[in-house]
Amino acid sequence: MIKFGEGNLRVPQWSRRVFMVAGGCTPFRKYFPEYKLEELVMMGYKMMLEDNDLKLSPKEIKDSIQYAAYGEFADHFQDQLLCEAKIHDYLGLDPLWNTGIKTGGATGGAAMLNGCMAIASGYADCALVSGWERMDEVDTRTGNFYISTAACKDFETRMGRIYSSYYAPMANRFAEAYNLSEVTRAKVAVKNRGYAMSNPNAQQPGHHTVEEVLESRMSAYPLRFLECCAMTAGSASALLCNEEMAYKLSDHPVELFMAGGTHTLRVADRRHMDIPLLPNEKPGMYDELLKESGRWPGFESFLAARFAAYLAYRMAGIHDPLEELDLVELHDAFTISDIQTYGDIGLRPYGQEPDYIESGDAYFEGKCPSNLSGGLLGTMHAVGATGVWQACEVFWQLQDRYDYIHGDKKWWDRAGKEKPADWKSLQVKDPKQGLWISHAGVGSHVTCGILRKAW
Amino acid sequence: MSKAYEGSLTTKYIGTPSGLFDQSDDFWVINFPRSFTHQHTYGLLTPFFRGLTEGKLMATKCTNPECSENSTWLPPRADCPDCYARTEWVQVPSEGKIYAYTMLDYAGIGIEMETPYWQIDVQIEGVDTIFKGWLKQGKPVTGMPVKAEFRTEDPTYTILDICWVPK
Repeated sequence: MIKFGEGNLRVPQWSRRVFMVAGGCTPFRKYFPEYKLEELVMMGYKMMLEDNDLKLSPKEIKDSIQYAAYGEFADHFQDQLLCEAKIHDYLGLDPLWNTGIKTGGATGGAAMLNGCMAIASGYADCALVSGWERMDEVDTRTGNFYISTAACKDFETRMGRIYSSYYAPMANRFAEAYNLSEVTRAKVAVKNRGYAMSNPNAQQPGHHTVEEVLESRMSAYPLRFLECCAMTAGSASALLCNEEMAYKLSDHPVELFMAGGTHTLRVADRRHMDIPLLPNEKPGMYDELLKESGRWPGFESFLAARFAAYLAYRMAGIHDPLEELDLVELHDAFTISDIQTYGDIGLRPYGQEPDYIESGDAYFEGKCPSNLSGGLLGTMHAVGATGVWQACEVFWQLQDRYDYIHGDKKWWDRAGKEKPADWKSLQVKDPKQGLWISHAGVGSHVTCGILRKAW
Repeated sequence: MSKAYEGSLTTKYIGTPSGLFDQSDDFWVINFPRSFTHQHTYGLLTPFFRGLTEGKLMATKCTNPECSENSTWLPPRADCPDCYARTEWVQVPSEGKIYAYTMLDYAGIGIEMETPYWQIDVQIEGVDTIFKGWLKQGKPVTGMPVKAEFRTEDPTYTILDICWVPK
């Protein structure tokens, strides 16, 4: 059993407040031969500088930056060590200090957290966070193998050489333990891929049916192709500031609270432990559940996500996430990992995760919609960029700029696509705060970020 | 010192042009081939992999009387993460119950088994962790008893040297 020491449970406290003032990204594609990696990063970075109603010119903002946090998942994919140096030089930011961040699928979130730390500590008043991945230098099955080396090479990688096979056992276990039907799982894919139809940058948007999802090719039983995210080339950037700089740059800054959690790389190594409770949960409420399932987090839940939310909710003073959050962006690399997370972050109590979908709460105009961006299933998983891009999507929603970012013809043209005649706005009405989850491994690293309107 | 340092050199390209993978008026995409082998040590876990080739399932256990957990680890680990003591090797039963499973249908490149096949996670009496493996025959159900088989002849020297069959 993992037992926490009292010191381990201290809630992080920024030394000064942290704000996000701008975001940018590229279109996301399976294959992006028109641009080199550094050119893709420049594209997202320039969008961040030029298209966020900032009060200083791009040059003045560039002259204000003091630090950069860069997220890249795998040197395997880039086939280039020290990409950070190439990108940093390409963005003209030498000799400012930068740090390269790698925490698997949570790399983008971890880069954001690193940027927050730079602002909160006073190292910087204005910090760039940028993430990227280009997964198109190898064919898909080689890419599957590369990603599977983010499982344990001695005990797991050879057992499948594809990440879906590490999530699929959890899906079967979850289905039996918490009564999750294949249809509910498929609805997550239908929902997120459907929302991606409104996103000009989306790699695999589509109006699918539950039947299509369940009839799509099997990857690792029970996970079908349409339940798995794609491999992507693209980048995303965010600009973080201290309070003074934030209001100098923007009339609509967003305050940021963020924390992370971790757990074993191998699911096998998870030992039973007590559940760390969220602010709205009561001691004893999971006694019955644990009697049946025998162990927590077992294969059903993620300690890393629970711990990240445990800390982040306390940092941000959130008591009841479902009531207080206006939207969330979750790490739907697989339908099942999306659903598992609902319990970890308190959108439902453990054991009732499927109800977040079935109740309608998770949908546009529901109580707390998730992945209106299209998520990883519909829009992108350029791994190092993902957690940065998710933050951008929540940020634009809070600024009431969904329609500009997703609806303006300029972005459809940039992506080389025709804006659909039935394009639908997914702008949440007057949102106050939102959350995003960035998630790695089979729950090895998870960040939980909360963005709150600050004007 | 090579004679070459003493004079001028004429140098020849001796590589193999790998060619264009894709091209348009705006871009070229080149091939960038490579093939190599890593040499990877099992370090202090070598007894586990040697055990597989001898038909034994070896785990590690923390026996430090000061440790609050004294967990038994499979996959094994040489150092206890709870108290940092060196763990000890113990042979554990080569049988257990299926805790979770999946059928591998579409595998990544280099897969060493015929697909599709069942991957299973096995709960073993006295072991605190759950052990991933593959089912050689049969169809898994949660809770189903299984026993291990070992590839003692012509071993692969990898985790694939153990598999499971219905008990």
